[in-house]
Amino acid sequence: MTIDASGALRHTALYDAHLALGARMVPFGGFEMPVQYTSILREHEAVRKRAGLFDLSHMGQFALRGRDVGPWAETLTVNTVANMKPGQARYNVFTSESGGAHDDVIFYRLDDERWLLVVNASNAGKMWDVVTSARSGDVELANLHGERALIAIQGPRSVEFVQPLVDADVASLKYYACTETRVRGVRDAVLIARTGYTGEDGFELFLPAGDATAVWDALLADNRARGLEACGLGARDVLRLEAGMPLYGHELTEDITPLQAGIAWAVKFDKPAFVGKDALLAQRDAGDYPRIVGLTMQGRVPARAGYAVFAGGERAGEIRSGSFAPALDANVATALVDARAAAEGTELDVEVRGARHRARVVPMPFYKRAKA
Amino acid sequence: MANGVPAGLLYSKEHEWVKLDGDVATVGITDYAQSSLGDIVYVELPRTGAQLTQFGSIGVVESVKAVSDIFTPVGGEVVGINDGLESDPAAVNRDPYGAGWFYTVRLNDVAQTSELLSPDAYERLISEA
Repeated sequence: MTIDASGALRHTALYDAHLALGARMVPFGGFEMPVQYTSILREHEAVRKRAGLFDLSHMGQFALRGRDVGPWAETLTVNTVANMKPGQARYNVFTSESGGAHDDVIFYRLDDERWLLVVNASNAGKMWDVVTSARSGDVELANLHGERALIAIQGPRSVEFVQPLVDADVASLKYYACTETRVRGVRDAVLIARTGYTGEDGFELFLPAGDATAVWDALLADNRARGLEACGLGARDVLRLEAGMPLYGHELTEDITPLQAGIAWAVKFDKPAFVGKDALLAQRDAGDYPRIVGLTMQGRVPARAGYAVFAGGERAGEIRSGSFAPALDANVATALVDARAAAEGTELDVEVRGARHRARVVPMPFYKRAKA
Repeated sequence: MANGVPAGLLYSKEHEWVKLDGDVATVGITDYAQSSLGDIVYVELPRTGAQLTQFGSIGVVESVKAVSDIFTPVGGEVVGINDGLESDPAAVNRDPYGAGWFYTVRLNDVAQTSELLSPDAYERLISEA
């Protein structure tokens, strides 16, 4: 694959920092992003045992402002939004009339009228169209893509590595809480949230793009000797898969609904109306839809997206994501399978280069961090 | 790890090395290949007794992210495979010219090795990559 760096791909504010660290860069979501700096397994281990630093500035960030943001957003998404308090973050999914997913997102409520909506990089253009075309009432939208950076630190030692740089008491920031705070060397307030995509403790920092390099360098300078490592998208994908988190385009798509993706907990059917509600109700009531399951391969052959899955010799679905999972020393995968093949414990076969390999349906997440 | 190209071996354009001992060849992938692939998690080798055709696709090397074909640099009958790679695929990253060897082949025609690259020629190939 050739990478066109002449202008077809965008760069985040940390592009030079990645090159200086020897990162291997790949196209992702319209940006050139680091897939690895040293090795995916080494970066994975850093996050699970100490902490890793991620540049997520390629993701879309939209500022939402106004009195009507909460109720307006609730008509476009499956989860509740209006009852979020200032200082809360919440996972959600924007759906189409058929119940399929436009994107999975996180809303952050900063105060009564100021919100941040973070969307996947690959969907930034689509989601800007979705929200602007549906805008109504006292809701102002601003597309911050490119103006704001997003740095994540993830791992059991995140509190220790982040606290010296930040005014807020991060240890007492609850999971999925957020707050505006001062970060050493940054003039404007920075939003910090105890959110992440790895299954470990950690924080996401939303800050002006112009300050990203200083904060990135400071975190590494202060903590590299203690085991903080820069981590790329390769490690990020293994971590989120182990943690059972969906990746848009794999476990959620325009044709895979939140119910099918196994996140029915995020679908609040008692909301009066939202895009896709009728379709999702019908799907829920019919009950026989194909769904995402977790698989553990029995042998050393990895399953990969697109491989066919069989139950009792008959085609039952396909692999959606698959990788070696270092935290389990096993190969794991997600698959979209017929309801009849989805029960926990079901033995399935995955076709790999013409040969069938045994797998078992297991609950997700595959990995859960130890309680502190 | 330096991309030093060992003397005494022959190389293919697909980044495999060949160590000749009479008409038996040991095959593996080069340091350049293991570094490009990243962490190797699985190697699918041909079976002992299989007949290989030079430059045919005969197995795969899987890294965390990707599956890559192995194109055998030599043809003939497979007489040995490195069983250790099943439980320790990382040996290919750690020691690609030693413990990370893939399989041995009894060549059906020693003359075919003239199709392979000398260490100097392989070094030129990877320095231009």
